[in-house]
Amino acid sequence: MGKKKKRPVEKVFCYYCDREFDDEKILLQHQKAKHFKCHVCNKKLSTASGMVIHVLQVHKENVTKVPNAKPEREATDIDIYGMQGIPPDVLAAHYGEQEEDTPSKSAKVDVPGTNIVGGMMPGGFAPPGTYGVMQRPMYNPAVPGPHGWQVPRPPAWYPPPPGMSMPPAVSAPQAASVPPQQPLFPVQSIAPPLSSAVAPVSQPPYPPGVHSSPAPIPVSQPLFPVGAAATMANQIMPAGILPDMKASAAAYSSVHPNMVNSYHLPNGPGAANNSHSYASGPNTGGPSIGPPPVIANKAPVNQPAGNEVYLVWEDEAMSMEERRASLPKHQVHDETSQMNSIDAAIDRRISESRLAGRMAF
Amino acid sequence: MSNFTSLTNLGQNTNPNKSYEVPQPPTDSVSSLHFSPKANHLIATSWDNQVRCWEIMQSGTNIHSAPKAAISHDQPVLCSAWKDDGTTVFSGGCDKQVKMWPLLSGGQPVTVAMHDAPIKDMAWIPEMNVLVTGSWDKTLRYWDLRQQNPVHTQQLPERCFSLTVRHPLMVVGTADRNIVVFNLQNPQAEFKRIMSPLKYQTRCLAAFPDKQGFLIGSIEGRVGVHHLDDAQQTKNFTFKCHRDNNDIYSVNSLNFHPAHGTFATAGSDGAFNFWDKDSKQRLKAMSRCNQPISCSAFNNDGSIFAYSSCYDWSKGAENHNPATAKSYIFLHLPQEAEVKGKPRVGNTNRR
Repeated sequence: MGKKKKRPVEKVFCYYCDREFDDEKILLQHQKAKHFKCHVCNKKLSTASGMVIHVLQVHKENVTKVPNAKPEREATDIDIYGMQGIPPDVLAAHYGEQEEDTPSKSAKVDVPGTNIVGGMMPGGFAPPGTYGVMQRPMYNPAVPGPHGWQVPRPPAWYPPPPGMSMPPAVSAPQAASVPPQQPLFPVQSIAPPLSSAVAPVSQPPYPPGVHSSPAPIPVSQPLFPVGAAATMANQIMPAGILPDMKASAAAYSSVHPNMVNSYHLPNGPGAANNSHSYASGPNTGGPSIGPPPVIANKAPVNQPAGNEVYLVWEDEAMSMEERRASLPKHQVHDETSQMNSIDAAIDRRISESRLAGRMAF
Repeated sequence: MSNFTSLTNLGQNTNPNKSYEVPQPPTDSVSSLHFSPKANHLIATSWDNQVRCWEIMQSGTNIHSAPKAAISHDQPVLCSAWKDDGTTVFSGGCDKQVKMWPLLSGGQPVTVAMHDAPIKDMAWIPEMNVLVTGSWDKTLRYWDLRQQNPVHTQQLPERCFSLTVRHPLMVVGTADRNIVVFNLQNPQAEFKRIMSPLKYQTRCLAAFPDKQGFLIGSIEGRVGVHHLDDAQQTKNFTFKCHRDNNDIYSVNSLNFHPAHGTFATAGSDGAFNFWDKDSKQRLKAMSRCNQPISCSAFNNDGSIFAYSSCYDWSKGAENHNPATAKSYIFLHLPQEAEVKGKPRVGNTNRR
């Protein structure tokens, strides 16, 4: 059996974009596909100068830059073939960086960093040991939960954060056959906040939105353990418990008097800008490597069309559905017309002889 | 072995993959597709204000479907969900209402939930016996069906674009690229809020079957594979898809295969592909339809993949001709090789 070839310690890399490869064959394929390809007919050439000559002779166009190359390495006059022709200073700089443990760009996939904005919120998870079989959550503080499962509650002196508005639960009458169920999201009676003068010194003030809660799970433990979820018996709801459409709509219109007019599609002058920024910075998942692709809707005059990419849906402010829903035919203009349309729908269904659930279409 | 960045072949006809065509499709674009968790009943919601149901009969490689029933909303319907027992369908949309339709019993639909703006996505959470709805009014609302008011209203940072639930994990994607993660054992508090790992508008989400993270798709033809655990951040990556040379199309749908843990993406380019996130491979690239694929779904055992080919508004109103536009719902029977992940041999990442 032959001796295994030792792989060179220094991997080969592409002069134009600094990407690393396991061997020179793959590097050459990469250069042909990414840097030496004719933007007009997609023919793959062997060198940058070969590509320039091809484009000039066949398509009568001038190419001044190597496509997909870093800005300082776009020159077409340097003859690069694989690792051949790379200036010594570039070689030294590249392998010098490698020794300093600079992560090389992955050839297949992007591996972005995570940008956590809010971090872990309080009371995120039950303490270790309470997982295993997933039990139905109990949110009523009056009912003791399973051992070790504390329901996080804000201190009595701290009001709930603004993101937790809870309307009072209106219980529907329950049938005798169904055992009374604890509400999932009980409204906790919280005393008004104490003034700073009265607040006891021993209690540290909590920052807004932070409640006392069990310590979060250590990182080594899976965040969402896979347990055999205890499937709950579906509770049978007797007929007549659910409010009919008309009553429900009336109830909602009384609770939300300006329900219909409260939502505005963001397509006016105040809508967010369409920023197509690839630059590194906040929220972009780490530093960008190499030049960003050009995202445009029109090919810039000074650049060959082969390098650009076009977002088909490029409205960052609105989703496709929002744009479509903003058409006049989908607009409900005022509350009265919406209530009328609901009434009309009810009347229409009453007058129909066949069941809505069995309609042919 | 295909890699994550390669493109699909361009298919110019309506049904290049020779999928089974569902009869009597909606008369306008399809906004959501969902199979019953208990049987091969397929629900489609549409911009023609209808919710339709078909019964799919499958014997081996033969497949047949028949229209079963339909109900109407007053405005376009954007989303739907099945109850876990397969008896009931929920649907919501531009009329700002959720209708509960006891489909199997043939009952009348009733309004069980309302928002102050169109309802964009919803999910039934069997472990809690509640329906969760996400709206452009910047709220999530939890509904106990026996009560008229929501049992909890959760403020979101922006308009809800997508949500995905695998109890106890819920992930909500909103406008401005916000991602809000909830642990449903404590649903009144955000577990974590992050900016999307993708640089463009969030389009769709899918929680991992093992609940350790989620997939996210954007309008920039890219999917992010994101883990929640800080110790697993090195496993995060993104890949490009649904691109045709210089045209970048939106990723409209993400669906995990119920058995194999692989997933499907569907996009505005008219293609759908099957992927394995663990080996970072594309398992199968299907031929492109001549219209966008607006939504898709696996049935409960993963033997049928339903997808809708119709105009998704990705090129605006100017590219929509109601007179000639036609919507299709197709059923594809995936081969095992298309959806079964390959064991990962060593490190597939080239450096």
